[in-house]
Amino acid sequence: MPEPKYISLTVDGKTVTVPEGTTVLQACEKAQSPVPFYCYHPGLSIAGNCRICLVEIAGTPKLQIACYTRAAEGMVVNTTSDNTLNGRRDVLEFLLINHPLDCPVCDQAGECWLQDYYMQHGLYDPKFDEQKIKKPKAVPIGPTVMLDAERCILCSRCVRFTDEISKTGEFGIFNRGDHSEIGVHPGKTLDNKYSGNVVDICPVGALTDRDFRFKCRVWYLGSTNSVCPGCSRGCNTQIHYNRERDWRPHIANGERVMRLKPRYNPDVNQWWMCDEGRYGYHFIDENRLTQVQFRRNGAVQQKPWEEGLELIAGTLKQLRDAKALDQAGVILSSHMTNENLYASRKFFTTLGVKQLVFQRPKSGSSDTFLIQADKSPNARGAQALGIAEGAEALLDLAAKKALRVLFVFVQDLTELFGPSRVQEAARQLELLVFVGTNMNPTSQLAHVALPSAVYAEQDGTFTNFEGRVQRINAALTPWGEAKPEWQVFSELADKLNLGLAFADPQTIFTELAKTEKPFQGLSYQLISDQGALLKK
Amino acid sequence: MMVELAIKLGVCALVLGGVLNFAGMQTWLERKQSALMQDRIGANRAYFTIPWWLGGLPVNWILRKLGGLGILNAIADILKLLTKEDLIPEKGNRFLHTLAPLLSVFFALMAFCAIPIGPTVHLWGRDIPLQVANVNAGLLFVLALGSIGVYGVILAGMVSGNNLSTLGGLRASSQMISYEIALGISLIGAIIWYGTLDLQLMIERQGTYLLGGWLPHWGVVVQPLGCLIFMTAALAHTKRVPFDLPEAEPEIIGYFTEYSGMKFGLFFLTDFVEVVLVSALTTVLFFGGWQVPYLAPDGFYFPWGAFVPVSHLGYVIWGLVSFTVKVTAFIWFFMLIRWTLPRFRYDQLMHLGWKILFPLSLLNIAATSVIAVATR
Amino acid sequence: MSTLSEQLLHRIRDAHKRREMTWWERTYLPAIAQGLWLTSRHFWRNLFLHIAHRVGLFRDVPAAVTIQYPDQQRQMAPRLRTRHRLTKRADGTPRCVACMMCETVCPARCIYIVAGEHPDPNVEKVPKSFDIDLGKCVYCGYCVEACPEDAIRMDTQRHDIAAYSRDGMWLDIKELLNPGSKQFGEPPEKFVQLPPPPSR
Repeated sequence: MPEPKYISLTVDGKTVTVPEGTTVLQACEKAQSPVPFYCYHPGLSIAGNCRICLVEIAGTPKLQIACYTRAAEGMVVNTTSDNTLNGRRDVLEFLLINHPLDCPVCDQAGECWLQDYYMQHGLYDPKFDEQKIKKPKAVPIGPTVMLDAERCILCSRCVRFTDEISKTGEFGIFNRGDHSEIGVHPGKTLDNKYSGNVVDICPVGALTDRDFRFKCRVWYLGSTNSVCPGCSRGCNTQIHYNRERDWRPHIANGERVMRLKPRYNPDVNQWWMCDEGRYGYHFIDENRLTQVQFRRNGAVQQKPWEEGLELIAGTLKQLRDAKALDQAGVILSSHMTNENLYASRKFFTTLGVKQLVFQRPKSGSSDTFLIQADKSPNARGAQALGIAEGAEALLDLAAKKALRVLFVFVQDLTELFGPSRVQEAARQLELLVFVGTNMNPTSQLAHVALPSAVYAEQDGTFTNFEGRVQRINAALTPWGEAKPEWQVFSELADKLNLGLAFADPQTIFTELAKTEKPFQGLSYQLISDQGALLKK
Repeated sequence: MMVELAIKLGVCALVLGGVLNFAGMQTWLERKQSALMQDRIGANRAYFTIPWWLGGLPVNWILRKLGGLGILNAIADILKLLTKEDLIPEKGNRFLHTLAPLLSVFFALMAFCAIPIGPTVHLWGRDIPLQVANVNAGLLFVLALGSIGVYGVILAGMVSGNNLSTLGGLRASSQMISYEIALGISLIGAIIWYGTLDLQLMIERQGTYLLGGWLPHWGVVVQPLGCLIFMTAALAHTKRVPFDLPEAEPEIIGYFTEYSGMKFGLFFLTDFVEVVLVSALTTVLFFGGWQVPYLAPDGFYFPWGAFVPVSHLGYVIWGLVSFTVKVTAFIWFFMLIRWTLPRFRYDQLMHLGWKILFPLSLLNIAATSVIAVATR
Repeated sequence: MSTLSEQLLHRIRDAHKRREMTWWERTYLPAIAQGLWLTSRHFWRNLFLHIAHRVGLFRDVPAAVTIQYPDQQRQMAPRLRTRHRLTKRADGTPRCVACMMCETVCPARCIYIVAGEHPDPNVEKVPKSFDIDLGKCVYCGYCVEACPEDAIRMDTQRHDIAAYSRDGMWLDIKELLNPGSKQFGEPPEKFVQLPPPPSR
């Protein structure tokens, strides 16, 4: 690739050097004199129709739009002159002519770019005295998106998204002049796999999320960087959770996670994420295992952690004393973080258990853009840690009474191998332990079910299909009495006098990076929020 | 013998009943008087009705009127105090904690033994003194019991298991000592003047006249300074505003913080009994006791020479009424002070007791002695 | 001529310049006598008036400034902040659009709104339930200030609230729409929902 030619220009008196072909808007951003914009999106083609990014360029008689004008050598740009500010205010006045006063009922309020720029550049004493044009409101245009045409400022970002990114082309702008409105083509619904992204890119409240609709005001949200566990792509996300749940328990019936938003990562997902991942967060607050459960002869008992750990440790001790640890098996899950996988592997190998495998969930659909067939976030990590794959052999052993104890993590095995095989295995086993986040048919077969923390409640790393190790951060405290898996192993190791202890995910990762070849050289600092690749 | 005993018991009942009723009614008086002084209405809500088959309408009508006047609040108070839980602090001493209020009220009531409430009655050939115990050093007896009374307070503070209560009790004891001295010494003037410690005798000696028969020979006339000091010190003795540092319910916390129910009620009762006591003492020592001006045992001898005969029974009744009216007036007066003046600061209290009242009372003795010697 | 309050202020400011008290004043006896005179004057005057009222005299001269509260209500200023109410549209549904401004601004965090869909897209949002925990409310009136729809007001002139528990001071949307209609039960029913508004 040829070295790009660099040019330098002056923005508000500051000289910046940018590669040739850069737009003025990007140059302004680099010079830290940001220019407001609606229609411009770095991931989409340039339309130049919102006109708010006006800047004054010396030598041109009229204000120019920064998003479409290429920067040139020696250009002098002024983003703060009276002319520029007046221009912005006038453009904003036009944009707001038909915009309804919906802020109180609009879900976008609080993160709306119209509100933001109006605060800076608004004409606080409006001159508009005519009737506003009425357009369709609250139209569900697809399973995930609600359209309010009145609020639209016709920036056409959504049109460009469906044309260029999802390539499904549902959106269009209809009618002319004042009556122009956004909408889906007749007979179409917005139901592509990436439809949720139009909500993210809509700078105003025209396209809102039906899943998030009226659930929570955005200023109640807290945000934590994480990674989507929906498939092995590992799209970078932000978990938006109800920060005020302690004193506003009525919001969304007490659910904690309100929505997921994609986070920019040029190497993984750019600005986007799929709907499957976006709306796949409900398991965090639904149907969770909250307490240790004992199940004997069909009767379920809630027990404290201590008793659950005692029972498991006791059984393992018996096996160890009888030198029968080859009759124990462990089925890990590719939903677990690298740290948890490492901790469990270390615990079981130190104890002497050899039959340690991991299991992926059922594979699903995939496409060429983001969605991967492997629906778990960390199969690559498990492979990198040298854990064998496939639980079927262990289930067969169990059914043949060759196993006495079986540990199952997170996965629902009945979905993979059919309920009868798992039931048969459970019947033959002396102790079936399920360690997982949610209740499922397998947890209901287990003799002991231990609640573990979901990814949103844990610190750790996932390794995506490309071998990129990415950080997840704990947004929430563990549900009920749930604990992260590494903590469970730490406590079990203590009971079995294995001389093992795990302090926190970071120290586990440091240890892992020292001992495991593929992870060598990695650290949380290096991974940061954009991830880092495994060693080849 | 039995008759003597019956008569004594009758007098006892008269005195005790009178005192307790006075004390009880003070709860009403305090509420109503303070209300009137502050342009309020005061207690007017507590009343009850009794079923028609027990008395019916007229009784209920009266009860409603009494309730409107706030009198039935006293009954409501007692019912409340009796039914409240009696709390004894974990670190408190159960026995002493119970003993303290009893001591307090016992000594306060005992002091009334020596106070004559009326002239000696001649009935059915007997002389019946209207005084429970005719102690010839009656004044000393009263002062002694008043001093012992503070033991209840100190005890209450000490055994409550509460530092602040203990401090309240200590404040009470230091206040008592400071003011008992002025109290005692201020009376020496009166003792010198009337030449007796016997209260009945003292009252009789106040039944003479000065200025050609116009001015009664009352203590307040011959001992104005002594009277003032006595009243101040006596007020301090009752531990009421402006001398209520030992209690100080609103903020600094006093000795009976850890008391509830009727035990707290007994402390309250003691306070009211002591108000009656000092009113009675002031009356006896400085305002002629049961004496009515110009009334001799056989009738009124007015200074302008007129004479209105009065029977013996009439004389006794005049005496009792006179005593009651005077005591009531003083209760009213002490109440007036209590609702007018703010509380002293502790150093001001000590300053007043030791540096003003004490020297003044000594001065009073000196002056009285000189005058007494000079005039006789 | 300065007002009385200015004069008083002046006297307080100049307090340190007060003249030395004379010996007679320092005994405090005259001041005490003055005080006793003042209070006793009130006492006798009011005593006289109370008795006179009983026999029907001087009825127009009050003997006390007391207002017999539960029987006799004080006339309250219209701007006084009293218990909240929700205003209604012409059809009786709440004006509130569940924008959560009041809930957000409330410093006591005593407002709980659950939003729902309104069948009319021009209204769009409506509270399913709207609860105020008066046990927490500090009557600051910020909710009224913040409301963009004039949907909440504090002008019911109701300020008496008593309950046997903290939860007993819970107002639900029905009570807020029709102040005074609620029979306060304990424990209260929370998050009572209105029937969904009729579609037009």
